Amino acid sequence: MRSYAGQRAALAVVQLAVLSILVFVLTALLPGDAADMRFTETLTPEQIAQLRAQLGLDRPALERFTHWFGNVLTGDLGTSLISGGPVLDIVKASVGATLVLTLATLAIVVPLAVALGILMGTRENGRLDRTITSITLALSAIPDFVIAVVLVALFSLKLGWLPATWVGGSLLTNPVLLVLPVAVLLGRTVCLLSRQVRAGTINALHADYVVQARRLGVPRRRLLLRHVLPNAAVPGVQELARTGDTLLGGVLVVEAIFAIPGFATALVDGVETRDVPVVQGLTLVLAVAALLINLGADLVCNRLVPRTELLR
Amino acid sequence: MRARIPLALSALLVLIPLLVAILGPLITIDVKPGLPYEKGGLLGTDGLGRDVFSLLLAGGRTALGMALGAVVIAYLIGGLIGLLAASTRHRWVDEALIRPLDVLLPLPSLLVISVVAVGWRASPLAITLAVAMVNVPTVARLVRAAALDAASGPVVEALRMQRESWIGIHLGYVGRAVLGPVAADIGTRITLAVFLVASVNFLGLGLSPTAPDWAVSVSRNREGLLLQPWAVLAPALLLVSFTLGFNLLADRLVHRTRRLVEAKR
Amino acid sequence: MSEALNRRGFLGLAGGLGLAALTGCGSDGASNAAAQPKAGGRLRAVFAGGGAKEVLDPHVQSLFVDIARHKAMFEKLVELGPDLKPLPRLAEKWEPNAQASTWRFTLRDATFHDGQKLTSQDVLYSLARIADPAVPDRVAQSSLASLDLRRCKAIDPRTVELVLTAPNAEFPALLAGIGTHIVRDGFKDPTKPIGTGAFKFVSFEAGRSMVANRFDDYWDGAAKLEELQILSADAEARANALQGGQAEYANEMTATFARTAEAGKTVKIVAAKGATTQAFVMKVDQAPFDNPDVRMAFKLLADRQRLVDVVLAGRGVVGNDLFGKGFQYYPADLPQRERNLEEAKALLKKAGLLNKEVEIFTSDSTAGFVEAATLFAEQVNEAGVKLKVTTGSAQTYAKDLLTKGAIGSHRSGAMPIPQYITDRLLTKSPFNVTHWRQPAFDAAFASAQVLTDETARAAKYGELQKTLRDQGGIIAWGHPDFMVGVSAKVQGVEAAPPNTLDSARFDKVWLA
Repeated sequence: MRSYAGQRAALAVVQLAVLSILVFVLTALLPGDAADMRFTETLTPEQIAQLRAQLGLDRPALERFTHWFGNVLTGDLGTSLISGGPVLDIVKASVGATLVLTLATLAIVVPLAVALGILMGTRENGRLDRTITSITLALSAIPDFVIAVVLVALFSLKLGWLPATWVGGSLLTNPVLLVLPVAVLLGRTVCLLSRQVRAGTINALHADYVVQARRLGVPRRRLLLRHVLPNAAVPGVQELARTGDTLLGGVLVVEAIFAIPGFATALVDGVETRDVPVVQGLTLVLAVAALLINLGADLVCNRLVPRTELLR
Repeated sequence: MRARIPLALSALLVLIPLLVAILGPLITIDVKPGLPYEKGGLLGTDGLGRDVFSLLLAGGRTALGMALGAVVIAYLIGGLIGLLAASTRHRWVDEALIRPLDVLLPLPSLLVISVVAVGWRASPLAITLAVAMVNVPTVARLVRAAALDAASGPVVEALRMQRESWIGIHLGYVGRAVLGPVAADIGTRITLAVFLVASVNFLGLGLSPTAPDWAVSVSRNREGLLLQPWAVLAPALLLVSFTLGFNLLADRLVHRTRRLVEAKR
Repeated sequence: MSEALNRRGFLGLAGGLGLAALTGCGSDGASNAAAQPKAGGRLRAVFAGGGAKEVLDPHVQSLFVDIARHKAMFEKLVELGPDLKPLPRLAEKWEPNAQASTWRFTLRDATFHDGQKLTSQDVLYSLARIADPAVPDRVAQSSLASLDLRRCKAIDPRTVELVLTAPNAEFPALLAGIGTHIVRDGFKDPTKPIGTGAFKFVSFEAGRSMVANRFDDYWDGAAKLEELQILSADAEARANALQGGQAEYANEMTATFARTAEAGKTVKIVAAKGATTQAFVMKVDQAPFDNPDVRMAFKLLADRQRLVDVVLAGRGVVGNDLFGKGFQYYPADLPQRERNLEEAKALLKKAGLLNKEVEIFTSDSTAGFVEAATLFAEQVNEAGVKLKVTTGSAQTYAKDLLTKGAIGSHRSGAMPIPQYITDRLLTKSPFNVTHWRQPAFDAAFASAQVLTDETARAAKYGELQKTLRDQGGIIAWGHPDFMVGVSAKVQGVEAAPPNTLDSARFDKVWLA
């Protein structure tokens, strides 16, 4: 087990390094640089050129990359080319909101999806199963921005029950700000997750040893908890890890519509303004988080359903 | 087993937007440009005074075409990689093909597409390629797994002993065996691709803001929602109709495939 | 408080109304003011955000949101009125010498937030800081380049003498430009802003918000509001925040929003008519626009009223191919150019441009650019010339337009007309998008700048503008209204073009 985690860690480091290079190359390919982005109709081209030199943007790409990489290895994520402040500050400022949103969504989605999935799985093809399946199918077919636009128009603009944006608001004083964004994020994730749990439950229920156990008279509840749930959870956990992907995609749309100063927005802004250190730094944080989540999911699955192949 | 939702309904949900997307640009309606967000005409006007109905006819090509094109490309490239990786005798070839794709896995797709869209603005080709690339790793893995299943079975051994050509075995039999899981996957993949492309266009990062594309329309005409809702609702309904219909059809397919597998047991 | 002050925003077509100079007497602005201004309350104002680009240092400002923040805390010597005429602020009065090369400013009795009084030393330090060659992002560096800092001196604590390297009768207006605020002598740390403005700094989060509290010792009368928050959000979010009650003031709203708001009751629109300029700009040294006939033909092809109706949704006034309608020095007596398809066709035929294709280079960097270009392309097509719309990156468009695009889209905010000419229409102008380089024009302009008599200057400027209108590369088709949304209980918000004294000004605002 330890060598497995070790293997994954080594792979992760390689992945991160390659990713950093890829991101740097991509941003370097974009037209214009951060000095160009500062252009307004008050700074002359000479001032812009001077700024470019000050920011070190006229040095060769390889030198800039190795300089950045060296800094990262000592824990320094560099300074933003646009604001002049540490990239770490930008990371800290933007991670908070996105983290809260994602955690709040997960806190609701996981129990809800598991409950729904087991409910549907244990009553396979029954009326309840078919109804919920139809609803989840329909809901997962609507793009999140459509859901968001409709919810905002209805609950904020027409009815005025919920705040339409996060402008000037603070989660500490006004937690109700979470309701609409989380509702939008819930939509598709709950559908996808519950269907995976349902599939896992059905497979588990049909497994030979479960059928045997039932024949042997093992009580239903113990059956569910001890035997079905762990197996049902495996595809669910894997889907959960993949949910990170959809969630982060949904988060970008949600952040844009509700004016939430989150991670995804900071990343896209960084690209728009060619703030290379910020893009590098945020991508690194994102990749590390994703890798950790995937590793965690694999380890959990391994624990739930030990399989010797994983140890290869 | 009674069908859950009639096949005809699902097919209709898919076909209507599809037909609009394909045939729409061929129909020209002569409508004089009007004032912004006015009711009147079939569905009123949008933020620039253009007739919403005419825009609907023109907007499906990018909305659906980019997504479908991306999925096709993803399957062509990913499928090829997956088949090659699965059918090679040399393990290092397999590793060399698959491992690099893992690098992109940690990155969320919308973010990758957004970055590309910001750089190569208003280029449908760039976005289509980006969406395809983002899907290649998963498709490759899927095809490789299915192909491995088939390639290690007795049928392939038999074919090999009969001196069937490498292509005949791997692209013929194995290729066909892979089609099952591919068909099961393609439904969700197309839906996700439509969402991805639509989200990028919605965020204003992709196509030009005056493009007739359905997702761009939903985004640009949001501010006039209370004045003239059809400018938003019409394209939104077409998008949702397509993805809903596709989801239902894909679900039937999965259901049917699973029953076949169970029946075989 | 005279009634005339209330109608300040509405300039109509009669340029240069010569309104009473604001001497800082506060107006309550409410047309139905049965109530007296009440003290207290918190106002949340939302502006378009700039993310990491937002700054606290007033000398580096560029975004509207930053301008609003700095205006709350800092002040300038001079500000601009609604017709872009200079108005005294921290400078109580000024006097040029006969050549307009040396100016003596008398300072007001104002106090900084830390209790110190405003002195000439603060002024000299501020100007030196702006001009510091080691820091290229001080935005007023090029506009104040004519200051001869070594010869500027403090006559006494309340009088300062500023010397120019070249005479300029418009100098006071330059001190009202962006990034010209007066800071404390020795100001080094932008994170601790100390100014003379009506509000004291409390906190700042780039891309999100700034909070400031009332400064009780403000020289122009303490503000009514207790707390001011200036927040960032994009257009959609601003609209939703205002309508949803999360903000009381939203800057730069669209015509569609105005329509929606006017249908309801909770939100008012305060509109400064014709405050900015939207134009197509042709490069006079690039084919086909190096041919003056082609330039005139394109000017005649623009259906200006239709452009205003569609792109601005009617919220704006038709343009006459000149910047600054309604501002000081605008030649209002020139006839309005109308669309003339036949004459345009004849000119194009003569130039051999019929059935040829021309590209118009635009981008989504400003609302309305792509829409206007698309509509104009249709209008040009009617004359038999194919105008193809190509878009570039929004982020770099302003810079790209300086070199690329034979014809492109252009918008200009509010500024005095002489400054617009200096920035864009002289041979050495840094932002000369039309590549208009005419030594005779430069000389005429320079000779106008030294005339201390305003009427004489105005006459000369008038001639120059007539030349521009006929031969220049600017097709100014419209002047959009600048609209701001406020919730019903907000009083005292004046309609004003951006970059003027009353724009984004909160010290005279109160909550009913």
